[in-house]
Amino acid sequence: MTVSGLKNWLLWAAIMAALILWFSWGQRPTMVGLFIASGLAVGSLYALGGIGIVVLFRATGVLNFSGGAAGAAGAMTAWQLETWGLWPPLAWLGCIAVALAFSLFYGRIVAPRLAWRETVVKAVATLGYALIILGLVSFLWADDPRSISLPTDGVGIRFLGMRLTATRLLVFAASIAIVIGIYFFLARSKVGLQMRSLADDRDLSALIGIPILRVETIAWGIAGVLAGFTGLMFADLIRLEASVITFMVIPSIAAAICGRLENLTVVLVGGLSMGVIENLLTLSPLLRGVRPIAPFVIAALVLLWYQRGQKLTFGGKD
Amino acid sequence: MLDVQQITVRFGGVVALNAVSARFDKPVSGIIGPNGAGKTTLMNVLSGFVSPSDGAVDCDGQNLLTLAPFKRPHWGLRRSFQKEEIADDLTVFENVLVQIDHSPTGPLSKHEEVTKMLDYVGMSDRANKPGADLNSFERRLTDIAKCLVGQPKIVMFDEPAGGLSVDETHRLGALIKGIHALTGAQTLVIDHDVDLIQQICAEALVLDFGKTIAFGATNDVLADPKVKAAYLGTEEV
Amino acid sequence: MVNTLFRVTPSGWAGMACLALAIFIVPEIVGTRWLSVFTSTGCFALAIAGVAFMYARLGMVSLTQVGLMGVGGWVTLRLNHAFDFPFEVNMGIAALVTMICGWILALPALRMRGLYLALVTLMAAGGLEIMFATFQFPNGGDGFWGVQTGSSDPFRRPWLAQSPQAYMRYVFVCVALGFVFIEIHRRLKPGRAWALIRRSEAAAIAAGVNVTLYKTWAFGIAGLLAGGAGALLAGSLGLLDDGTFRASESVMIFALAVVGGARYWYGAILAAVLFRVLPALLNNWGVDADLSFVIFGAGLLHAVITAPDGIAGQIRDALLSRRKGANSGKGGADA
Repeated sequence: MTVSGLKNWLLWAAIMAALILWFSWGQRPTMVGLFIASGLAVGSLYALGGIGIVVLFRATGVLNFSGGAAGAAGAMTAWQLETWGLWPPLAWLGCIAVALAFSLFYGRIVAPRLAWRETVVKAVATLGYALIILGLVSFLWADDPRSISLPTDGVGIRFLGMRLTATRLLVFAASIAIVIGIYFFLARSKVGLQMRSLADDRDLSALIGIPILRVETIAWGIAGVLAGFTGLMFADLIRLEASVITFMVIPSIAAAICGRLENLTVVLVGGLSMGVIENLLTLSPLLRGVRPIAPFVIAALVLLWYQRGQKLTFGGKD
Repeated sequence: MLDVQQITVRFGGVVALNAVSARFDKPVSGIIGPNGAGKTTLMNVLSGFVSPSDGAVDCDGQNLLTLAPFKRPHWGLRRSFQKEEIADDLTVFENVLVQIDHSPTGPLSKHEEVTKMLDYVGMSDRANKPGADLNSFERRLTDIAKCLVGQPKIVMFDEPAGGLSVDETHRLGALIKGIHALTGAQTLVIDHDVDLIQQICAEALVLDFGKTIAFGATNDVLADPKVKAAYLGTEEV
Repeated sequence: MVNTLFRVTPSGWAGMACLALAIFIVPEIVGTRWLSVFTSTGCFALAIAGVAFMYARLGMVSLTQVGLMGVGGWVTLRLNHAFDFPFEVNMGIAALVTMICGWILALPALRMRGLYLALVTLMAAGGLEIMFATFQFPNGGDGFWGVQTGSSDPFRRPWLAQSPQAYMRYVFVCVALGFVFIEIHRRLKPGRAWALIRRSEAAAIAAGVNVTLYKTWAFGIAGLLAGGAGALLAGSLGLLDDGTFRASESVMIFALAVVGGARYWYGAILAAVLFRVLPALLNNWGVDADLSFVIFGAGLLHAVITAPDGIAGQIRDALLSRRKGANSGKGGADA
């Protein structure tokens, strides 16, 4: 790691420690611990969303705004299937399947028509797709309050004197496992290598014979599965409401920005930190009401930090 | 006189330019070398798009590297790119006008200046044509006119003859040769067309893999065995 | 030089005719319910003009324009209830405050490549939605946030425009002024700088253009117009609610700006009509208004893939090719 990279990590650690100390002043440690734990769970979802965005962006050049919408469609499908009496694990599979289907449809049918356009245009198109999905979901399911629950919600695990919901642990563990899995996938597998090649230089990759369509389909597939999982978890932990889940793409983007749209570890850490800080803000009576904007503020500050000393509007990797 | 001193550029682990030095004092100088030699990178350093990790650039007492990139044109630096960057939405006249939009002179004198340079390159009859309607030679001519307005001190062309026919290249050469008499500016030209370089450049810098392999009068440089080896390749010189 | 600034294009004449129609004919023939729909359409047209020109001329995507309208509306309402300034002063201050807020929100992205602006403004839209939901809009109460329970205090409309018809005319005139404001910029130095930036930021820098300044300026104009639009909307409704300024609305009007045709003033008007009138029509016909999301999203995809200049562009092409067809009889020199 470079010296400046190390300095950034130390700065992050120092700031996080300071913030945690600040918010937990005068509070019971176990309560603070609970807030941090549930913050890690929500942050894992932000990180997973961010990871989906980054992996897809690097492999295809498309910044996908519709991941949240696909997840929302999946979560609503799972709810519907459970309501109709289907065995829950099949309903969850249904969720993933629906999100995957939306993702693959875009990746195979729509995205190739925009393959040679600018990055901004490709991103704008996914916005249109997100609106379509959101409209369909809102149309099919009326605006009533709903909830979805997983068997792990009722299971508690004792850790350091705190009782943590198994779902939260599951999400946190999953996010770390997925990051490690994707890391090894990209680094060790043949498809992963092809994906990295595509991310590095698409035209050159086509010239040396990399099967672009196949690799991109796999990338869209991974994004779809991640979106489905994240949507389901979000529905369980936060709220099962189409527009809320659709716009969870916003904190996912915030996490992705922390990693400069390329570094998965930083996306993970960024997402987790955002979740923790957002949850810790509940302890502050002054800022409690606006804590959902925490990811945005953090991402904005991180972006400004990355830009310090930069003179040009282009050039360099960004 | 443009004095390039020990310019070194690193992109991660790759050394794109390695302590390149040259003193350009002829009216038209060439920068040549095989692909990937670092010629465009050198121009990018002069333009300010790339920061060198070492070295300095001085022109008649002005340290260029301390100027912000968008201020160098105000000082007198001009640059054209491998692909002619002419805005489709603007007319030929407006495209050239942008270059001196920010100089302190009044609108009438700017108008005259643009007309004069369009005359020089032969585009004044098409001054109101929108950029989208131009063919590639017309775009190149507009590019050149843009480089000549507003008292330039250094004009840089990056492969200006790319994609031009033999006649068009001749015309281009004549225009470039006349720049010094018209504006007093020094010109740097990167190109692969060795005939063009021989015709118009009194001196040339040859780069290969980021290093200077020769610098001097064009004919001497082109006869240098090291230069021939770089272009054609031999086992060892 | 002077004659290029004051030259009126055919499009400009059409615009003036349209304005005349809107001011003199429309208020007479329209019933009261549609009056308020058209007035709010006008307000959104002004905001859409800001978003559209930024995208068409500079490739900059702002996904927070309705959120910025909310800022403008908030400031207008707060000033209205706190002080006794005339409406125009409130609107002016609101526009300036919105411009500055826009700059602050977009600051992290203005020096990075275009994609980041879309990302940052989307996050800003989410942030603004939460702020409005938490703090609501001023309605005459005390304190900084100015919210009181119960009914809201009255809103003072412009002296010239007290009645609904007069206010609608007022809004239409403001919209026209907004278009003229953008067009003046386009014909002078900023327009040339923007066109070159659109082509290539490197080429713009090489031409001595301060790219960051001009991008910031463009965003500032968008913010100014959004603030003005929000002020006009506040004046039209007398009070505002947070549901109008959600993040999804900002995304929608960007989508519609592209669908309508981001390069042309009539595209912005078309977009505003689609935004405001279509859902109302769907409701009239008994169709779920959620389907408007689907229609607009599909429209955006279609526009991006096949018709980059939107509906307005297609209309323009059709008109121009008909004119070329009519001229080709005269010797066919220009075919």
